[in-house]
Amino acid sequence: MLKRMEFAGSFADGGGQVRGDRSGVARAAIGLLAVLLLTVMLFSLTAGASDASAWMVVKHWLFSAVSPEELSQRDRIIVLEIRLPRIILGALIGSALAVSGAVLQGLFRNPLADPGLVGVSAGASLGAVGTIVLGGTILAPVAALLNIYTLPIMAFLGSLLTTFLLYGIATRRGQTSVATMLLAGIAIAALAAALTGALIYMADDQQLRDLTFWSLGSLAGATWAKIGASGSIILLALAAAPFLARGLNGLSLGEASANHLGIPVQRLKNVAIVTVAAAVGASVAVSGGIGFVGIVVPHLLRLMIGPDHRYLLPASALLGATLLLLADVVSRTIVAPAELPIGIVTAAVGAPFFLWVLLRRRGILDL
Amino acid sequence: MIKAENLSVAIGKKPIIENVDFTARPGELTAIVGPNGSGKTTLLRALSGELPSAGRISINGKQFEALKPWQMAALRAVLPQSTSLAFPYTVREIVRLGLTSGYSGAGSGEIESLPDRALSMVDLAGFGGRFYQELSGGEQQRVQLARVLCQVWHPVLDGEPRYLFLDEPVSSLDIKHQLIIMRIARSFAESGGGVIAILHDLNLTAMFADNVVMMHRGRVDAAGNPRDMLSDDRILRVYECALKVGVLPHGGTPFILPQSAAV
Repeated sequence: MLKRMEFAGSFADGGGQVRGDRSGVARAAIGLLAVLLLTVMLFSLTAGASDASAWMVVKHWLFSAVSPEELSQRDRIIVLEIRLPRIILGALIGSALAVSGAVLQGLFRNPLADPGLVGVSAGASLGAVGTIVLGGTILAPVAALLNIYTLPIMAFLGSLLTTFLLYGIATRRGQTSVATMLLAGIAIAALAAALTGALIYMADDQQLRDLTFWSLGSLAGATWAKIGASGSIILLALAAAPFLARGLNGLSLGEASANHLGIPVQRLKNVAIVTVAAAVGASVAVSGGIGFVGIVVPHLLRLMIGPDHRYLLPASALLGATLLLLADVVSRTIVAPAELPIGIVTAAVGAPFFLWVLLRRRGILDL
Repeated sequence: MIKAENLSVAIGKKPIIENVDFTARPGELTAIVGPNGSGKTTLLRALSGELPSAGRISINGKQFEALKPWQMAALRAVLPQSTSLAFPYTVREIVRLGLTSGYSGAGSGEIESLPDRALSMVDLAGFGGRFYQELSGGEQQRVQLARVLCQVWHPVLDGEPRYLFLDEPVSSLDIKHQLIIMRIARSFAESGGGVIAILHDLNLTAMFADNVVMMHRGRVDAAGNPRDMLSDDRILRVYECALKVGVLPHGGTPFILPQSAAV
């Protein structure tokens, strides 16, 4: 019956590529990004302050072209015990931050939401610093119970608290006010920072040294044990993300319309918040605050492949991992043999880049 | 059939609609009319499950509370008065969101062509590649209608009639597109689905509606066929505005002319 309503001659452009359908481009981009990530991982394995002949290790590993006797014990340790865990952790954290940014932006329906900007990371920091400073005293029973998971879980709880708080303040009747979100984010971040500061004031010298390096953001502490603890939480969060894609697409039309499309909006919001908090919390626990990955990566990708979260989320994971690994290579080679905290590198590149994007698009993008 | 009994909605402590009884039958276009602030949109939002309400609502005999969001999505699609979009989607991507619920009723071979067919229906063939935010208000409204049509593409699915809820679907459209959209709604109803539309244009109401629900100050003033509902005295009382109501020679459809002197 409805067919009767279709107007003759309107299918002139039928066949071939459908106009306005960017899914083909998006899929191709995801393929390319995957190749790029693997390349960067391999490159990252061979680059570093040490002249360890990583190629020998890689060749031995991938192609069995080098016999084990030709490998020096030192090379093997540098590549397998220092660089490899660092690369895997870096890739996981880059993915976690970029995907958190994309999910948070979808949830707030706003491209300015970033875990670092709106206080989610600050909440995680509070949880982490609390664990470092109080782990031996007040929190000792918790630490005994959770073991190596203490730091990531406390950071997760910190970010969970701030995210729920932020969402509760910034969203009224399904509408998120950008100004309220950013200002509330600043206030929440400031409060968390004040509490963190109070904890640091209580810290002893050894704790202070741990805290300083950690607070600037670094992957230097990567070990297989940390990958086991934080990495597993990050992997869980990344695995949950694809299930949010359809709902976040619907949410782009507003909460009411998402509901009309059959999306259980309240559940979507809860799952999204827990996912972001877990990913950010686990990341911050091992690497400190690494900013701007969450805002730059999804933004770049939206320009390239569009905002469809079914493609945006996996693409963000791949590009986030790639960019963080590149930033890490810079951080450990630029002042070699010393090392620059990676948070400085991402902020130095990310902040101007974001300003540039903002200025270029402020006419089109309704912020 | 959509049936609401003794429906009341309050925002805060302020009652917006009170004790409304409402029925919309499949196969019919039910128009909700009434002056600004009379509770039309609130009624529609309560019926679409968006606003919490006191009273009983059922859709095809099923109580509202028993239905999950996705079950509701299979039974009705909603065109809101306005939609604000968060990210730069193309027109086709927006229309495709209508397929989210997965209950369009279209076969798997047909489904990818639905967005473009829906766009053709609303006279936007060839607009698929444009960015939604670059379109005019009227064009955006038609894109949203195309999306809504995709959601309930087949007016009857598995023997169950489905419903279109349209909140002022023609408010920002030119006369040609007003008629195109009203004909789509008409066609949906004639195919066995139900349409509930909030309308401000009483002439379009007279022309296209089977059933008119006249809202006044948060209550249903009266409901019935357009000929009975659109009378001089009722319009004068409800809208507080003098209009001349005439009858077209063939078929007896009423037409309404504004008078220059207000009362």
